[in-house]
Amino acid sequence: MEQAIETKKLVMTYGKGRTKVEALKGIDLAVNKGELLAIMGPSGSGKTTLLMILGLVTAPTEGELILDGDNIYKRGKRDFQRLRREKIGFIFQFSNLIPFLTAEENITLPMDLIGTSGAKAHTRAVELLDYLEVTDRAGHLPEKLSGGERQRVAIARALANRPAMILADEPTASLDTDRGLSVMRMLRKVSSEQGTAILVVTHDERMIGEVDRVLQLVDGLVTSDESQSKAKSTATKEEPKSPGPVEPAGK
Amino acid sequence: MNLALKDARYHFFKFISSTIGVSLLLMVVFVLGGIIRGVILDSSTVVLATNADLWVVQKGWLGPFVEVSRLPKDYYHAIESMHGVAEASPLVMAWAHIDHPPASSGLMMFMYRNAKIGTATMVEPHWIDMVSELRFLLIGYEADHIGGPPMIVAGRGIEASHYEVVADVKTGLKVGEIIRMRGFDYKVVGLTKNIVGFNADPVIYARLVDAQNILFQPDPDLLRNIRRRTGGQLGGARAVAQRVEEPGMPKASALSENLHMINAIAVKVEPGVSMEEVATEIRHWKHLEVYTSARQVNMQLMGANRLIVMQLSLFRLLLLIIAGVIIGLITYTFTLDKIKDIAVLKLLGTQTSRIYSMIIQQAVLMGLLGTIMGAMMEFASEPYFPRRVSATLGDMGQMLVIITIISVLASLVAVRRAMQVDPRLVLGT
Repeated sequence: MEQAIETKKLVMTYGKGRTKVEALKGIDLAVNKGELLAIMGPSGSGKTTLLMILGLVTAPTEGELILDGDNIYKRGKRDFQRLRREKIGFIFQFSNLIPFLTAEENITLPMDLIGTSGAKAHTRAVELLDYLEVTDRAGHLPEKLSGGERQRVAIARALANRPAMILADEPTASLDTDRGLSVMRMLRKVSSEQGTAILVVTHDERMIGEVDRVLQLVDGLVTSDESQSKAKSTATKEEPKSPGPVEPAGK
Repeated sequence: MNLALKDARYHFFKFISSTIGVSLLLMVVFVLGGIIRGVILDSSTVVLATNADLWVVQKGWLGPFVEVSRLPKDYYHAIESMHGVAEASPLVMAWAHIDHPPASSGLMMFMYRNAKIGTATMVEPHWIDMVSELRFLLIGYEADHIGGPPMIVAGRGIEASHYEVVADVKTGLKVGEIIRMRGFDYKVVGLTKNIVGFNADPVIYARLVDAQNILFQPDPDLLRNIRRRTGGQLGGARAVAQRVEEPGMPKASALSENLHMINAIAVKVEPGVSMEEVATEIRHWKHLEVYTSARQVNMQLMGANRLIVMQLSLFRLLLLIIAGVIIGLITYTFTLDKIKDIAVLKLLGTQTSRIYSMIIQQAVLMGLLGTIMGAMMEFASEPYFPRRVSATLGDMGQMLVIITIISVLASLVAVRRAMQVDPRLVLGT
């Protein structure tokens, strides 16, 4: 199956000398298109650092990152802003919709950023609103939407430019179980139907039933990378007892 | 998609209330500009209204509105006969007063009281009391010559050879009203508008001979006193004549000669003839001082009103700087409120220029709207000012350009703050 993203020996180090902290210690990861992967782990395990590197917000100290077949750091300085616009979709814990734009405008925004014409963007936004079952909320500002609706609009925004990968940072953390499960099912549907790789960083074990794979990260290392059925049975056993090392500053 | 407009729409009340604040400040900037133009116009009105090319005064004297020059009236005949002169008109002009309180409205009384309270600790309280006399610039002109009232807005021009005047509306006088000057009654037969001296005192026009009587005729009681004193000391008409020759004593005969004196001659040059050539001729052959109208205005503006124009201009500049600082602070506050949104926009890959443009556009929009609103308020408030305030659409156009530049510069602090926003702010939280 075609890979959406692959990392090779990703290392991320903060600080120098005595203050040196190794947040990631050689992560090898491959996610196929259409796959829904959960990245789990305690605080300080390196989840957020990995998310930042995968989201092209931070460059790793060492290692390779291949996004949609493109080895990102091999060809020198790149326009990461453009790559983020075109290749990556983001979903956040609190949806982080732009408050002064309506639901439809929030979905149109990423398309506007890559120069899609207004008519095409509108058609795509209507299609996504319908797909995520929030058509009737198109003209509403985020403050008028429920938490679940906001996350659906955020998913639609992430899908707008048909990215190779969607990074979801705790997308269910601010929702109750029902709404959280509904959002996860929606992500499940998106990944399988749209063929988009979705990486979900989460603490929420209730949601792992909806994912294809679970990657356990502890102290900057992948401790397990299992398919959904096996993950379900082992997740509770591997819950760490200690809070782990302190997250480096700036994370 | 214009993010600046969308954000302004979302924060409508906040944006509009901030814009109104800016517009009030800019209104004051416009008012100051209008006051400056008013001072400049007041400095030139009478000179331009006379429609003269040259002003002839006593040698060594400045123009007739600045220094009191004296010329024999018949000089104007000699000048009129010179080559290149189309018309020469004898004029008499000086500041005078009548016992007549200036026109006062409710607003004017409020301003008086306000001035009185405002200056209570600065000067003697009675210095700010309402005056009981009306000051004006009296101009006497010869019938059918230049120098008379330019535009009559009510009533008619002077037709009789005596005892009629045309006053400016600013005097508060009405058509048909009788005013008493130097023992004679004069009827107001017409009104002009905005014809004032360089110090903003209104102008009253009269026939030349009437103006000479009002301004130069000695007081009969004074003449009687002089005769009595000189007669009592020396006795006899001969002795009187000897006594009045003494330095420092006014001559009775000389005082009556004043009625044949004028202050200036306004000259209209024939078309196609050089003003400078005519001026040189007059200077050379008649030993008089000659000024162009432009120079005459310059003397009044830069002589009498120079400091007030400079002072107001400096104050206007300070207010513009303050407006810029306020726009900068408002834009900065708006940007602080949007830090998280800016981080999201950056993470979504929004072009940096587009984010900065959103901030700058909002500052410029606020500045431009504030300018237009400020100008509108200024135009509406102009009639309520006691002195002439004259802002124009041209001022607004100029201000739109200036405020655009100021707004862009003012928003740079907010842009700098936006540059520092890290997209990581929205990840892992």
